[in-house]
Amino acid sequence: MRLLDALRTFVAFAVLVLLHYTLRPLLGWRLGPDFLLLALLVVAARVRPGAAALIGLCVGLVSDSIGTDPFGAGALAMTIVAFGASWLQSIVFAEDMMVSAMVFFFGEWAFQVSFLFAARGAGGGPLLVPLLVWSPVRAAVTAVFGVVTLMILRPLLRPADA
Amino acid sequence: MLAVSLGLALAAMGLPDRLRDPITDSLRRTILAPLVTLQYDAERTRHAWREREQRALAVDSLAIRALELPAAQSENARLRRMLGLSDRLHWGFVPAEVLQGRGVGEDYSVTLSAGSAAGVRPFSPLVAPEGLVGLVKSVDPKTSTAVLWAHPDFRASAMAADGSVFGIVAAHGGADAEHYLMELRGVPMRSAIAPGTLIVTSGLGGAFPRGIPIGIVLSEVRTNELWARTYLLRPAVSPSDLTSVMVLLLDRTKAGVEPVWRGARGDSTLAGESSAAATVATAAARAAATVVAESTAAADSARRRRRFRRDSIAAAAALAAESAAVRPAAPRRDSTPPATP
Repeated sequence: MRLLDALRTFVAFAVLVLLHYTLRPLLGWRLGPDFLLLALLVVAARVRPGAAALIGLCVGLVSDSIGTDPFGAGALAMTIVAFGASWLQSIVFAEDMMVSAMVFFFGEWAFQVSFLFAARGAGGGPLLVPLLVWSPVRAAVTAVFGVVTLMILRPLLRPADA
Repeated sequence: MLAVSLGLALAAMGLPDRLRDPITDSLRRTILAPLVTLQYDAERTRHAWREREQRALAVDSLAIRALELPAAQSENARLRRMLGLSDRLHWGFVPAEVLQGRGVGEDYSVTLSAGSAAGVRPFSPLVAPEGLVGLVKSVDPKTSTAVLWAHPDFRASAMAADGSVFGIVAAHGGADAEHYLMELRGVPMRSAIAPGTLIVTSGLGGAFPRGIPIGIVLSEVRTNELWARTYLLRPAVSPSDLTSVMVLLLDRTKAGVEPVWRGARGDSTLAGESSAAATVATAAARAAATVVAESTAAADSARRRRRFRRDSIAAAAALAAESAAVRPAAPRRDSTPPATP
């Protein structure tokens, strides 16, 4: 990845992280969009799987430090999701928005599943209803916001030689 | 790299509280401080927005209540007056509510919530704390229909409160502002009534008992009649304010109600209005005298300067004095002779 592309990706990542800590609290939805995961997917699609896993770990630790969730659960889940997204990077940012929406949806769902299992291992709450009800809904919301964000950031995420 | 990351994540999960909390605290205070501040400010902004909306709703509710307050106060005052009237009447009356609003073409009649089952009979007088309202026209077991004094066919034998002058009261029926005024017709030419005089029912004819306030004399109306005067009255009861009334039963009508309003006249609003009207009439007389004096002075001045215009200026002054002394009124719509009381 060239320096300019890396810079653009970082800007997009920073914008999405800022949205996560500004727009999401402003919306105040119980099942609000997970811009942090979108930021992670944006970066993971442009780096190697190992680096993506490391970035996922860092982002997860940040999320766990600021939030009230069991410490480390988010880091573990984001590590897994980032690695998987990087491994599937050939389809994550395809031109087809539907594919991107599905990647966002399943990425968020996979994160929720991993997080819930990890949190349960760390003494979390019930599993079935969040796994089958709230997680898909949140994943759908995140997918919608992801598609919209992708459309807005498309000029920024386009490769420099395109 | 994946294995290292997963190992670190699992290690983070396995950290004991005494190690984990200092780490997260230090992270929040240092490199994550901007994000924590952003999140905190966003939360505060959302709460402020929600509070603003709730405050706006509270202000709107207060505004609506404030708008309703004068109507509630007015209704409260009216109900208090009704209670006072019922205390003074003691017996022989039926309280009734005006059931439906008067629509277009129904300006002169109302439906009452009391009927023959409550003792209401046709031609029972309708009164309010302020005075005469109308007459029951037809009766059903549960409801009844009444005509108000504003009805073109309504007549009531009336007199001045001191009994010095008698006449017939009917609706004036003028246009616009004078639509809801009354006329006192058939007053003998020799009997002049001063503005502000209270007019009450005379009791002649038996339809209405003696002493119910009807209205206050505003001014004389110019008519073509040569043997009688007609006066414009301000009604004691405005038809638009009717929400509840008292129906006087026949026994009570025969027994008379004169002490009821006479006793309350000292502190009633009508008495206050009567005195206010008298004050206004006095002020009008003073203003007319001033106009006459000014007109006379102007005529004198003009006479000194321009002798050849003396007659015309004097005529103008006399005309001004005359117009100020007698309040002009709209011509009567109904010029039929009044019925015999």
